[in-house]
Amino acid sequence: MSAVLQESPAQAGKKHEIDENSFTLAAGLGTGPVPIEPYASPAYFEKERERVFRRAWLYAGRMEQLPEANSFFVKDYEINKASLVISRGKDGRVRAFHNVCSHRGNLVVNQSCGVAERLTCRYHNWAYRTETGELMGVPDLKHFFDFDKKSCGLTPVACDVWEGFIFVNFQKKPEVSLLEFLGPFGKTYAGIPFFNLDETIVIQADFKANWKLIADAFAEPYHVPALHPATLAPGFAHPEENRYARPLSARAHGIHRHFSAYGNPQYVPSETSKVERLVYVQETGGVLGGDSAENARALTAHPAINPTKNPNWSADVTWIFPNFNIDYSTGGFWTHEFWPVEYNRTRWTLKIFIPKTMNLRHRLQLEHYACRWSEVVLEDVTNCERIQRGMESGAKTHMILQDAEMLIRHNLHVLDKWVNADTVAEALQ
Amino acid sequence: MSHRETSLPRGFESLEPFVDYWVRESNDERRAARSTAQMEDIREFYDVVVALAPDAITYLEKFPLDAMPDDATRLFKLLLAMNHAAIAVEMHGAPRAFDSPWPAPVRIAKGPWPYGGSIEGAEIGGGFR
Repeated sequence: MSAVLQESPAQAGKKHEIDENSFTLAAGLGTGPVPIEPYASPAYFEKERERVFRRAWLYAGRMEQLPEANSFFVKDYEINKASLVISRGKDGRVRAFHNVCSHRGNLVVNQSCGVAERLTCRYHNWAYRTETGELMGVPDLKHFFDFDKKSCGLTPVACDVWEGFIFVNFQKKPEVSLLEFLGPFGKTYAGIPFFNLDETIVIQADFKANWKLIADAFAEPYHVPALHPATLAPGFAHPEENRYARPLSARAHGIHRHFSAYGNPQYVPSETSKVERLVYVQETGGVLGGDSAENARALTAHPAINPTKNPNWSADVTWIFPNFNIDYSTGGFWTHEFWPVEYNRTRWTLKIFIPKTMNLRHRLQLEHYACRWSEVVLEDVTNCERIQRGMESGAKTHMILQDAEMLIRHNLHVLDKWVNADTVAEALQ
Repeated sequence: MSHRETSLPRGFESLEPFVDYWVRESNDERRAARSTAQMEDIREFYDVVVALAPDAITYLEKFPLDAMPDDATRLFKLLLAMNHAAIAVEMHGAPRAFDSPWPAPVRIAKGPWPYGGSIEGAEIGGGFR
């Protein structure tokens, strides 16, 4: 089997090598059709809520969101009907609490972030210590009955940090630690030099499709030439060398997974793309971002990044189970959060970390990136809504996946384990 | 000359007819302007602004990005909008991606500094509260 079509003898000697070993078989996965029930069934969604989102470690934010002692931010988890406060103590420790007052159950904090020593519920002015959640003050205390202040703090939620990424776990006592949950992924991807952490482009969407459909959209490049012919394909596929954007590598890392995307090394904006040519100023990068060669070198030197060290590399997509991506490219990195709302509704946040605006031309380029990204995601989101309709129609019971779609198959495999396992230890096996 | 004819720096008067529609405050508003415009209007703006862009960049590079005189700021915002017009002209050949609806479920909740705009809570991935 060759990924390259129309191979001519003249070109054959210098063709880009495409790895034709099966990613799917190497990951120990089956090859048959997979059921679409997990995307279209409200009953399955309820199992995901109870057995996945109430037991797995879930992404909360980055350490940069907590720059000093008493910094806090609020994170809502609609899937668990919860609002959490994440705070940083003077000891540097990050803690999470339910954002719920011990008095009569009101939400305490109603702003997205801030810095304060105490958090006050505006209903009756009960006040809590930001860093520990302890109850500090109760107006008119003497008229309460047998009051035990110590037991009336904010309800803590398990919280831990890996490589600057903050995670929470909704189990009262998590069955496994964050490091155990991350497993081999946590070790392989440790020590990556992140950069440009202070500036972001944020793109969000609220749409009518199962959360896994949008996760799947970023898990395989096979659709890029068809669905993104103008916005992405010129950078991520090549009409002769890699027509279907076959990944350079795709592997399972315990319950998590990655694929490395091909990058067209000859990509330059075409003659007719006058604006793109005008604003193209960065040393490295492709259609989705650019940065200094120094940053790119430090990133690509890490053994986890582009693990086959293929020179025609554009980006690595890493999918941390269940619903979080950290993606790396020579132009920087970005994260995806795919948050389920209902079985057929999703809220999604894409955060692209960018260099600080350096000058006018760079600012124009950043605008171009934001434009292009929002078009790419519009193509994906509207496509997901159509897939959801197709899946719910009952016309099909299964979908057929090819080798480049291995990450989707792996996710459904892991998801099924979690949904059916009585313990997390069992789900992790 | 009327006031409107002089709202841009000298030499860039031919962009004046585009000021009302294309000078917008945030990345998301510029995207919305392009997404809801007619293709011939986008093309007309694109042709004029692209021809003047190299001179406009040279002119604007004299100023700090966030402290330009009002007329220069307007010109800067037209250059930002040029990127959006380019999406329609250079990529799609249409105001929006093929088969995409409007209003769209996608928004740029936070754009690059300056004049990127920000929806409350976007930085922490909230913005839905």
